[in-house]
Amino acid sequence: MGDNGVRDAYFTDLAARLRERGVTEERITATIDDLATYLSESGTDPEEEFGPAADFARRLCADDEAAGDAASAPASGTWKWTADIFIDQQRLNEFGAQGWEVETVDKNGMFVSRRDPERPQRWEYRREVVRPARRAALAESLAPDGWEPCGTWWYYAYFKRPLAASVGPTAEVASPPPAPRARLFLSGRYYLLAACTIILLVLAAVVIGWMLDSVTPIEILDYAAGAVVGAAVAFAVGLWVILRNRDS
Amino acid sequence: MAADRRANWLKGVLDLLVLASLREGESYGYEIAKTLADGGFGQIKGGTLYPVLNRLEEAGLLAAEFRAAERGPGRRYYRLTDQGRETLAEQSELWLAFGESVRAMLTKGMRS
Repeated sequence: MGDNGVRDAYFTDLAARLRERGVTEERITATIDDLATYLSESGTDPEEEFGPAADFARRLCADDEAAGDAASAPASGTWKWTADIFIDQQRLNEFGAQGWEVETVDKNGMFVSRRDPERPQRWEYRREVVRPARRAALAESLAPDGWEPCGTWWYYAYFKRPLAASVGPTAEVASPPPAPRARLFLSGRYYLLAACTIILLVLAAVVIGWMLDSVTPIEILDYAAGAVVGAAVAFAVGLWVILRNRDS
Repeated sequence: MAADRRANWLKGVLDLLVLASLREGESYGYEIAKTLADGGFGQIKGGTLYPVLNRLEEAGLLAAEFRAAERGPGRRYYRLTDQGRETLAEQSELWLAFGESVRAMLTKGMRS
């Protein structure tokens, strides 16, 4: 294959990779044209100049991925996830051992994590319960041990520490596993709590119905239908609030 | 090792250098790479430069315009936005202060 053949094959591959990542056709054409002009001036080989097409496409779209959902989580880069309060520390340390560094906790309570694509380091995490006014003092008291704040959620404050601070270069993750596709981790205790809450709500509805019925007779089917519709409306409103926050 | 260290230094400041290279006016990918090479930063590969240009554009610090050429495929021209100019001024000061601190620490106790 001649020089032009190599370039054409590279750009065809790159265009396909960009397309897979949802880049518009107009942008792909402009990008390829610009890069072709670059190569005509530099006189270099495309792979030598830009690196392998798949990797280059990923880096060109790095910000889009950071903003996108983790269903298409990259092997490295940013990953947003969350876990319930019963297992968050355990999960943080598990993913910290895979090289994930939490940069912040966003307003939806998601851990915004990053992993260095070249030299991922292990991280340790801890969670403290603290009033907002006491956060700075707490951070100051933990700082001598190498802990730095990495996000807050209500009264919970999260801290991280690079393992390199205590074990040196061996803290580097030799072969990091791929980024998990999931973004929500719930424990058995969480499901148990949710089930208990639902049972309590149903019991409360039954008791209220029984009390109403003792005052003035009610149609049990109408009452049950009203309770189900009320629960569905509350669920829909809650879901709408969550989704609206997520989109904004 | 020395090359690795240099590459790491560059990683922390490349976005600022790219913004600074556009202070005098618009430019395009290859010309920016040449400006950086002339500035003593070595040959910055397109594979390193373009992701930085994309990120700066996404962040609103650069504006880009594609212009078709009479001959050949055409180029994307980049220029600083007002926000980019402000960020450059602000971040340059911070970097220079950091550089000063490094210099002060490294030269402390050295004989002149």
